Amino acid sequence: MSSSTLTIASRIINQLIRDRRTIILIVVVPLVIASLVGVSVPDKSILDYTAPAILAVLILFFGFLLTGISFLRERSQGTLERLMASPVSRLDIVGGYLLGFLLFAVLQTMVLFFYFIYVLNVSFYGDLWQILVFQVLIGIGAVCMGTFFSVLAKNEFQMVQFIPMIIVPQMFLCGLLWPVSQMPEYLQWLANVLPMTYGVEGIRALMLQGQNLLDIGKDVGVLAAYAVGLLILTALTLRRSTG
Amino acid sequence: MPESNFSGPAVEVNKVSFAYGRQKVLDEFSLEIPGGISFGLLGPNGAGKTTLIRLLVGLLKARAGTILTLGRKPSPRIAHLIGYMPQLPSLYAELSVIQNVEFFARIYQLTDKTERRRRVEEVIKLVDLWEHRRKSAMNLSGGMKQRASLACAIVHNPPLLFLDEPTVGLDPELRVTFWEYFTALTRQGATLIISSHTMDDAAHCDRLAFMRDGRVIALGSPDELRQATGQAKATLEDAFLYFIKHGGVNKNVQ
Ligand SMILES: Nc1ncnc2c1ncn2[C@@H]1O[C@H](COP(=O)(O)OP(=O)(O)O)[C@@H](O)[C@H]1O
Ligand SMILES: [Mg+2]
Repeated sequence: MSSSTLTIASRIINQLIRDRRTIILIVVVPLVIASLVGVSVPDKSILDYTAPAILAVLILFFGFLLTGISFLRERSQGTLERLMASPVSRLDIVGGYLLGFLLFAVLQTMVLFFYFIYVLNVSFYGDLWQILVFQVLIGIGAVCMGTFFSVLAKNEFQMVQFIPMIIVPQMFLCGLLWPVSQMPEYLQWLANVLPMTYGVEGIRALMLQGQNLLDIGKDVGVLAAYAVGLLILTALTLRRSTG
Repeated sequence: MPESNFSGPAVEVNKVSFAYGRQKVLDEFSLEIPGGISFGLLGPNGAGKTTLIRLLVGLLKARAGTILTLGRKPSPRIAHLIGYMPQLPSLYAELSVIQNVEFFARIYQLTDKTERRRRVEEVIKLVDLWEHRRKSAMNLSGGMKQRASLACAIVHNPPLLFLDEPTVGLDPELRVTFWEYFTALTRQGATLIISSHTMDDAAHCDRLAFMRDGRVIALGSPDELRQATGQAKATLEDAFLYFIKHGGVNKNVQ
């Protein structure tokens, strides 16, 4: 990791800290949504069953949104152009974004997770640290996805359009609402190429069945592969996007 | 100033063509800019000044032709020798003036902490923003943003500077200040390439290229260009109109 990566990451952290609205988006909004879920679910056993998947989906959604919008602003305010004309490499930029937002993804994950456990009294099995590690992995995936799609988007409006195109289908198909195995075959096929499916499958195995990270090696592997793939694609796409 | 160890022309553009999609902006464009001077790219909006500068700093790739900045192809490898001030003040809105300048100082590898602090303070004072250094960029006035943006572009003391319409929106007093500073930079040996659409700026440059529709219509010092009109009291505006009317493509008055 180069010093430029760290410089960019610490700049992102500074930016978010100085902007109160983002802090609200990172902490308050997810808690409100989590509370709505907690209050509206009629039965504790249903809550226990759905909470892990909801956790995963919220991390994906907010990670994607926050990173995507921030990266887009980097472009619309012209600072990306400045960076691209500087000695930093594209990988430094993408890596810096990943690192900076990861901190907030971790923070958000912790807040949501402990809120579910201690305030909404969701029961779970499995190791706390393994659950957190896996959630951070989902967060990394979300940040990579957010950066990648914001490089593709030409403006804020297009970025928002990616939510129904990229995020909502994953929410429906990931197994949050009904098991993937009960979907029509062609939808199962689609579900199996979407990263969120593995996020939900993995977190359920950890929290509901008390499995460990090795047991869900496939889910860990697929999510990691997605993150690395998106990272490389983002770095490759970046040059064209300032033109 | 970082050493560039290069004594040839600061910029050599040879038969460069560039288009955004189907829209041709530059067609077999050639231009040579010597080092150590302030060079003005003068022309109306849409003349292709920004496009040319973005090609020169390596943000865009030419479809054909060759570009050499400081004798090398534009790439991240020579980026530390180049300063770039984009047309719109490009700052991080939430960050303070000092955080913005400090960030670019780090990005441009001013790794020594004491030296970096000193330099950041120096450039912020230079653009007269020291008392506003803790203000967020979004709370600055237009002219202050412009000055902060300039500070970010020069913090690493580059021998070659591209300034895209740096004086737009500045009040006359500040414009004079900017030019005093630009002149001081060239005296220290830096090369400044400045785009503008006002002849007010043009008069300050050592050499000028009048640009229109992606072409250089005249090239020379302000005096040479004025004299070329044949009228004793011609202004640079007159000269520009003269070259438009007498339409010599790539007419070189030397
Ligand atoms: N990103 C872009 N996409 C498409 N056309 C562009 C873009 N940027 C500039 N142009 C067009 O290219 C021409 C030259 O623009 P520009 O280089 O910005 O001129 P100037 O800086 O002299 O005002 C104009 O006709 C402008 O409309
Ligand atoms: Mg322009």
